[in-house]
Amino acid sequence: MECVWPLISSPSSRVLRFLGIRLAFLIATYIVAITIVFILPRTIPGNPLALLLTQIFQQAQANPEAIREVYRALMNEFSVGKPLWEQYLDFLARTFRGDLGTSIAFYPRKVVDLIMPSVGWTLGLLVPATLVAWAIGNYMGAIAGYRRGTAFEKSVVGVSFIISQIPYYWLAMLLTYIFSIRLGIFPSGGGYSVGLEPSLTISFIADVLWHYALPFLSIVLVSLGGWAIGMRVLTIYELRSDYMIFSEALGVSDKMLFRYAFRNSLLPQVTGLALSLGGVLGGQLITETVFSYPGTGYIIFRGLSTLDYPLIQGAFVILIASLYIANFLVDFIYAVIDPRIRVGGETS
Amino acid sequence: MVSIASATQYIVILRSNRRLALGISVFSAILIMGIVGPILYPRDPLSFAGPFETPPNAQYPLGTDTYGKDLLAQLLHGTRMSLYVGVLTALIAMAIGTLIGTLAGVRGGIIDEILMSITNIVLSIPSILLAILIASYFKVRSIEFVAFLLGITGWPWYARAIRAQLMSLREREFVYLSKMSGYSSLRLALEDLMPNMATYVFMAFVLYVNTGILGEAGLSIIGLGPTQGVTLGITLQWAALMEAFRRGLWWWFVPPGTVIVATTVSLLIIATAVDEIFNPRLRRG
Repeated sequence: MECVWPLISSPSSRVLRFLGIRLAFLIATYIVAITIVFILPRTIPGNPLALLLTQIFQQAQANPEAIREVYRALMNEFSVGKPLWEQYLDFLARTFRGDLGTSIAFYPRKVVDLIMPSVGWTLGLLVPATLVAWAIGNYMGAIAGYRRGTAFEKSVVGVSFIISQIPYYWLAMLLTYIFSIRLGIFPSGGGYSVGLEPSLTISFIADVLWHYALPFLSIVLVSLGGWAIGMRVLTIYELRSDYMIFSEALGVSDKMLFRYAFRNSLLPQVTGLALSLGGVLGGQLITETVFSYPGTGYIIFRGLSTLDYPLIQGAFVILIASLYIANFLVDFIYAVIDPRIRVGGETS
Repeated sequence: MVSIASATQYIVILRSNRRLALGISVFSAILIMGIVGPILYPRDPLSFAGPFETPPNAQYPLGTDTYGKDLLAQLLHGTRMSLYVGVLTALIAMAIGTLIGTLAGVRGGIIDEILMSITNIVLSIPSILLAILIASYFKVRSIEFVAFLLGITGWPWYARAIRAQLMSLREREFVYLSKMSGYSSLRLALEDLMPNMATYVFMAFVLYVNTGILGEAGLSIIGLGPTQGVTLGITLQWAALMEAFRRGLWWWFVPPGTVIVATTVSLLIIATAVDEIFNPRLRRG
């Protein structure tokens, strides 16, 4: 990873170029994701649209007036009767406008209006929990890698190995059983107490945090293990590099050496953060159903039980979009802190 | 370089590496439980014969669920099927990953660019989310279908790793030497590349078995797992649906989760220990 001097271009234009490439990639990926959403119901045997219509007709007995509306909206949204490419362009245009169709189970409410409030709950859990796990896990892992052979290293490795393999949703069940049913310290589910109106009062926020504790804990505990394991190995590799051995020979203080190793090992972990968000999100969606937490996972779960495809698809599209925005933010941070991008030099 | 060690060498390694020995013992115990367990304890995991929600007792060693189903029988059959899902997922993911990674790594150029773009795009779509979306369109899902789903959403990082390994191996001297002495591509792949990648392939296999077991359980919890049969995930799904953990029925959800964690942890320990044995940079002491 040698640096190329003198600078060919200014730091800011390098950062911009890096970010531009990333943005183009994320937009391309987003279009692929939307295309998958478009193709799936049209290629899968058994024709989900027909299934949907049968289901709507079953409900028709209860409310014949509304049903005609649902039917028309659906025909319109699936662009029935138009050629496939026109359907696709219609779909793309509507998705980019933020129109994800109409829910079937909650007709006539728009999918976007149903999902948006839940995205706040999901990201509000995902982002802080991931960042806290990242910080604690990396710090623990770095110390473990720096102090090889100590009891601390052994216990970090042992504990991390086990907790990183616990499925979030199972930990969720265990934590609920222990802390809520047995000890009665935390509530056993939900985002806030039944009967409370969401508001910006101290009592409501306290109630939300009280419900937040267990879901937060289950995600932090599981994900910090992975970071600790990865960081330990990165630190060990870093300590063997020439500049570290040279610094040590020069008599650089222990604290300084640790700082060097820590900062340089941290860079790959920042990239890892962007990649891991998707995995954590997947696990969290499932965990939300265990906690009956009012996030998007719970919405998907409800959409699944009523076969509300517009809702499931909409949740998928919105989650992917929010994930890519988060990824782009991480890329931005990476571009700012990595001298190879900021100052120039070989990047791959 | 990896040389084929003799049996005695393996025993020495096992003795000196207590973690590897522990991982192998735990995993063997689970494997035996899944293979022999249902034969030694031949009770039907799906029969509604027992009393409802009884805690473990002499007649039902792990108690029963809301429908009076025997939970030990479910655990044994579930372990068997979950291992099956795991292995099948690994085979599917690795077959796709090997194909794409090798093509990209060997051909290079524009084919490499295209294949790696596809790989990176699939890698950027969270696999479990994609699996949820696809699974939601199928009303009937076999155990094999679930493994297939987890395989086709999970291959990208293996394709990338295989490509990276091939790229770095291509530049090594002994590969050049073999090329110069006129080895065919097949012989080159079998004699020079495979042995060098064997530990890597083994580790990936183990990690994909974990992906399969955990993925099946995750899909099951939200109701998108296999629609027939018994797996550890399906037992957990019913425990979640019936709120076993909110009603103190610990014998329903604790055992299947424990087996899942024990399986994945022991496999991970085996994978890491093997890596440590063959990777000198990580070797201790």
